[in-house]
Amino acid sequence: MPALDPFVIAGPILVVVADIIVYVVVGKLGTKSSGKGGKYQPFTGGEEQIPVRGTYQSELFVFAALFMVVEAFALILAGSFASSTNFYPLLFLAGGGGVILVITWWLLVVGGMRA
Amino acid sequence: MIATQVAEILLFPGLTFFVWIAFLFDWLDRKTSARMQQRVGPLLAGPSGILQPVADFFKLISKEEIVPEFADRFIFFLGPPLFFAAPAIGIIFIPVLGTAAIVSNEYDLLFVLFIIAFSALMAAFLGYSAAGRWSTIAMGRLIAQYTGYEIPMIIALITPAILAHSLSITGIVFAQQNMWYIVFAPLSFIVFIVSALAELEKPPFDIPSAKTEIVGGWMTEFSGRPLAYIKLTKNLSYAFLSALAVSLFLGGPLGPVLFMDPTLQAALDFVYFVVKLLFVGFLIFVIRTALARIKIDQAVRFFWMVITPLSLIQLAFIMVLWWK
Repeated sequence: MPALDPFVIAGPILVVVADIIVYVVVGKLGTKSSGKGGKYQPFTGGEEQIPVRGTYQSELFVFAALFMVVEAFALILAGSFASSTNFYPLLFLAGGGGVILVITWWLLVVGGMRA
Repeated sequence: MIATQVAEILLFPGLTFFVWIAFLFDWLDRKTSARMQQRVGPLLAGPSGILQPVADFFKLISKEEIVPEFADRFIFFLGPPLFFAAPAIGIIFIPVLGTAAIVSNEYDLLFVLFIIAFSALMAAFLGYSAAGRWSTIAMGRLIAQYTGYEIPMIIALITPAILAHSLSITGIVFAQQNMWYIVFAPLSFIVFIVSALAELEKPPFDIPSAKTEIVGGWMTEFSGRPLAYIKLTKNLSYAFLSALAVSLFLGGPLGPVLFMDPTLQAALDFVYFVVKLLFVGFLIFVIRTALARIKIDQAVRFFWMVITPLSLIQLAFIMVLWWK
């Protein structure tokens, strides 16, 4: 197995941590509010009906999910063309695939796939 | 050593530097489009209004954040910094001073491809988390557009990798010491620029954020700090994709003049990189100002029927060249 520069993993983590810290810190500048009432209704552009969550174009989500799977396989093929070792392609594919898996799981949980 | 690398990642030539480039791109974009439309553009904050994007950012983060009643609160709050993280991570793999990036690896181009995909998907899920009518419609449009431009963009980015026999951005830049890859793969460069316009939701592919049709698109329900972050992320993606085009097709920071002194050489590399970055950015500014928005079905058809075949033709040409 080739030696792995620790910053290949630590660099992105550092960026994400710094990003979230700055986001939380600058959040102290403005006020935050949530609750019920007209101010907190989604913007309808003057129409009366409030949209119902999770009933919009489920076929598109199925297609997008399948597209992501095909894309992951395409990247595996692309990454294997001159590969001397399969360690890094597998590492990055595991990372990228994991992220896509988590957000697809979130999509399923909130109801994007419901008909 | 570790402190130096951390400073490079967070300050220069990493995150902070590219955030300022993002602000500069925003100003140049607004100024260029204003000039092309016989307007003045930003004028008041700083010389010629150059600090207007910074002023806009601080104005937004100081405003009230309103969370809609039906929003998915977790994604609504955590989504904007994660959306920002995608291009912010990507830029640390871009060589700015010399041929070596701050962080590089044998397969970092693959990682960057995932980052680009993640960025588009985060935008879609941010729109969905807001649970508003306009943001939901925009999210559908965004996913449809994504399925159109993603494949040609990947093929366009893989083409220089095949030419360089490397999946490392640093390796691809290094391999362009004699000739930039835009000479061998001009179609891939064009395909990448067109796909980048779609990824950035710039005209003629600003369908997911079409203001005259669906209010603010998938950003309609966002305000205050999340909106400031989302707008900054879009400009950072602008800078990141331009930097990627510079690295893969225009030789990155490589230029014709070489110095023996490493400090002078690094300074010259930096100048070359910024000039090329501004050139690619300017190309996008002009295209986006000159063209009008098309419909979503036209956009997807255009990508599948025109842009994808173009990218495949270029790939086939390069494969023939490579096997020789």
